Amino acid sequence: MHNTKSIKLVTYIENMGELEKIIKLKKADSILIEMIVGAMELSRYSKTSIAEMLELTQEARKNNIEVVLEWDALNQEEKFSQACAVIDRLPLHDFKAIRLQDPGAVEYIKNKYPWLKIQLILENGNHNLVGLNRWCEYLGEQCERLVLSNELSKEKLSEYAKVLKIPLEVLVFGRILLFYSARNLLSPLEKKSIEDGTIEAFGTSEESPHSGFPLIENRHGTFMFNVKDLYLLDHLDELSSMRINHCRVDLRFDESFEKYAENIIRLFTGSILESELFVRKSYPRPLVKGFYNINKTDVLFTKLKNKRTQRLDEFYIGEIVDVERDQQMALLIKSNGLDVAPEVEIKMITPEGKEKIVKLSWMKSSVGESLAKALKDDLVLIPYTSGVSVKTQVYLN
Amino acid sequence: MAHWTPELLSPAGSLEKLKVSVLYGADAVYLGGQKFGLRQASDNFTYEELSEGVEFAHSRGSKVYVVLNSFLHDKDLEELPEFLGLLEELKVDAVIVSDLGVISTIQKHSHLVIHLSTQASCLNIESAKLWQKMGAQRIVLGREVTIKEAAKIKMATGLEIEMFVHGSMCMSYSGNCVISNYTQGRDSNRGGCAHSCRFEYSIDFKLESNESKKAYFMSSKDLEGIRMLPEFIEARIDSLKVEGRNKSHHYAGTISKVYSDALSFYKANGNFLSSDMLSWEEELRKVSHRDYTTGSLDQYAGADSIYNDREQDDNEFVVSGIVLEATVGQHLLVDVKSAFHPGDILEVMPFRGATQKLDVAFLQSLSGVALLKSKPGSIVKIPYIAGAEKFNIIRKRAQHA
Repeated sequence: MHNTKSIKLVTYIENMGELEKIIKLKKADSILIEMIVGAMELSRYSKTSIAEMLELTQEARKNNIEVVLEWDALNQEEKFSQACAVIDRLPLHDFKAIRLQDPGAVEYIKNKYPWLKIQLILENGNHNLVGLNRWCEYLGEQCERLVLSNELSKEKLSEYAKVLKIPLEVLVFGRILLFYSARNLLSPLEKKSIEDGTIEAFGTSEESPHSGFPLIENRHGTFMFNVKDLYLLDHLDELSSMRINHCRVDLRFDESFEKYAENIIRLFTGSILESELFVRKSYPRPLVKGFYNINKTDVLFTKLKNKRTQRLDEFYIGEIVDVERDQQMALLIKSNGLDVAPEVEIKMITPEGKEKIVKLSWMKSSVGESLAKALKDDLVLIPYTSGVSVKTQVYLN
Repeated sequence: MAHWTPELLSPAGSLEKLKVSVLYGADAVYLGGQKFGLRQASDNFTYEELSEGVEFAHSRGSKVYVVLNSFLHDKDLEELPEFLGLLEELKVDAVIVSDLGVISTIQKHSHLVIHLSTQASCLNIESAKLWQKMGAQRIVLGREVTIKEAAKIKMATGLEIEMFVHGSMCMSYSGNCVISNYTQGRDSNRGGCAHSCRFEYSIDFKLESNESKKAYFMSSKDLEGIRMLPEFIEARIDSLKVEGRNKSHHYAGTISKVYSDALSFYKANGNFLSSDMLSWEEELRKVSHRDYTTGSLDQYAGADSIYNDREQDDNEFVVSGIVLEATVGQHLLVDVKSAFHPGDILEVMPFRGATQKLDVAFLQSLSGVALLKSKPGSIVKIPYIAGAEKFNIIRKRAQHA
C-alpha cells in the first residue's frame, strides 16, 4: 500500500470519452484530480476547439472535477493580441485557474483578471530558488502553484519544496519537450499547408545517438520531443514525502489515456504495485527518469577548453605566437602594466601544461634591432626554448 | 545635420576579436566571462582580458556589454556576486541576462544596467512590461518578432529595444531548446549547445504517408538585415545586434565594417543608395555564412527560411591573417589564419574605405627565411602596403575544387 493519498493527479482531457472514463473512475475511487483543458488557439498541442473545450468544462464541473484552462503557447505581438481576444471572450469564472508560461500572458492575466488564480509554468529554465521566489513575490496570492522544470533533480525538488510556501507541480508521466519553434518545419516537406490541423512524424539523425524523435507541427509551430518519455510514477511516494503534491500525467499524443487511466488512478489513490508495473510494461514507448536522480549537464564544460592557454595572474606577460626551431620565438606582449626587459626570468606554461623557466638573454624587434624594453601590444623576438609551442603563456617568474 | 541611427552591437569572442569589432566600426560589443554565458567552448574573457577589453573599447567610444544569460542553477548563482563586483569595478556598460534569479542577484549586489537577453524570448508588449518591472532597461527581442511589432513594443513601453540584424539563428524560440541536455548530457542553456538542429534527419510521416524524407529541416538560414536598415531606423530600434561570438576575426571585422559603413552613410545623408546596398551585400557574401534570409524582420519566417543543406565551408573568401605589425616601407607581420603562397594576390581590409590588393612579392619567416607557404598559427613577413594598420584583416579569394 502506498502513501499517496495526498497527491493530486493533474492531467489533460481532450475529449468526452476521456472525461467520461475519468468521471466513472472518480466515482469508484476517491481521487484528487484536476483536469487541464486547452483550445487550439491558446494551448501548444491542443486539437480541441473552443466550443468543445467549453463543453468539456461544463461536463467536468457538473461532476465536481476542477478544471484549469491552459494558455501556454508563446506568441509574438500580433498573435498575442489575437490570443488575448480569445481569452476575453471565455467564461473565465468557470475555471479554477489558468496555466501560463509566456511572461506576456502572465502580465495580461495579472492586470486584467486579478481574481483568476495562476498556475505558473516555469518548466523552461528557472533552476534557482532566487528566481522562483521572485516569481512568487511578483504574483503574490494570485499565484496558486509553480510548475517546475523536468531538469531539476529530486534533491533540488526536495530543497525547493521545503522553502517555497506555494504548492509545486512536476510532470511524472509523459513526453519531454526538447524543442519549440515558431516556424512550420514539417509542412514544407509535405508541400502542403497545415491550416488548423496537425502533422505528426518521427525524426532520426545519423549524427545523433538516439533515433525516433516524435515531431509535431501545428498552428503554433513545430515541437520535438525526447525519444523516451518521462516516467516517475514509481516515485509518487517520494514526491509526496517531499511535499510535492501535484503530479502531472500528460498522455495527449499517440498514446491512449483511456487505456492507462484506470491503473494510473489506482496508483494515485495509493493502490497496488501491479498498477505501476502494468503501466510501465505495457506502455509502447521507451521510458526514462530524465534528470530526476541527478543533473550533471555542466560537467563536460571544463573539457571544452584548455585552461592552460588562459592567462592567469598579475605576472602575465603575453603569449608565444610563433616558434622557429633552434632560432627564436615571437612573443606578443599582452600585459597591461608590465615592462619586459632582457635578463629577467620568465616562466612559460605550454598548452600541455609543461612549465619552462628561462632567463631572457636577448630581445629583438621584428627588424632585428636589439630591444631594452618592450611594452604592451609589441611583438618581440626572444631566444628559442625547446618544448615551447604557439599559445604558450608567458609570465614573469 | 546628422541623422539618427541605431547602435551597432558586434560580437567579441575574444580580446583580439573585440579589438577587431571596435576598430571596424562597432558602437558596442558583447562578450562573455569564463562563466555564466552561453558559449562555453569560446575563448571568453579572463578578468585581465576583460579589463583590457573595456579600456580598449571605452577609449574608442564603444560600449561593452557582458553576457550573463545562462539559466543559472543555485550553485552557479552563488558564484555570481563576486563577478558582479568585478564588472562594476571595470565599469562595463550593461549585463545581458535572461533568468529572473540572475536579475534579482544583480539588483541585490550591484547597480549594473540590465539588458534582457533574447534567451528570455520576450515576444510581446505585455512580456516587455513585465520584464521592465523586473528591472530590464533594454529588451533584446526574440528573433520571431517583426520590426513592426518591435516598434509597437517600444512605443508601448518606452524601453530600449535591441534586435538581431545579422548572423546565425536558433530555429527554436531561444531558451526553449534542450535537445543537447537530453541527447548529449550538455546543458544548452548553460553554454553546451551541440547544434543538433543542424543535423540531417530522416523524417517519417506516420499519419500522412509511409515514406521517409531526408532533410535538414531544423536548420535555419542566416539572418541578413542590411536591406531592412530603413525599417529599423524608422522604427527607432535602439540597437542592432550581430550574432557570432564563436565566429572568426574575418566575420567580426567584415560584418562590423559593412553595417558601420551603411549606418555612417545614413547618418550623413539620411538615405541609402541602391548601388551601395549592392556592394554591401556583396561584401556580406564574402564571409562564412549559410544562405541568407530576412527571417521574421519583415514577416514571420516561412519555409524559405529553412537551410535545407549540409553545413559546408564554401566561402567566397577566407581570412589569410591579421596584421600584427605594420613597419612602414618594410613589411607587415601577419598572424597567419590560413595558408597562402608567394605570388598570391591578397586583399587588405582597412578599417574604413575600400579593400586594397596586396601582391605577396615575398613571404618570409620572422628570421627572414624565404617560405614557400605560410603555416596557420605562425607569424610571417609580407610586403608592406600603404595604409595597412595593426588588426587589419587580410583575406584571399577561396579556391574551390
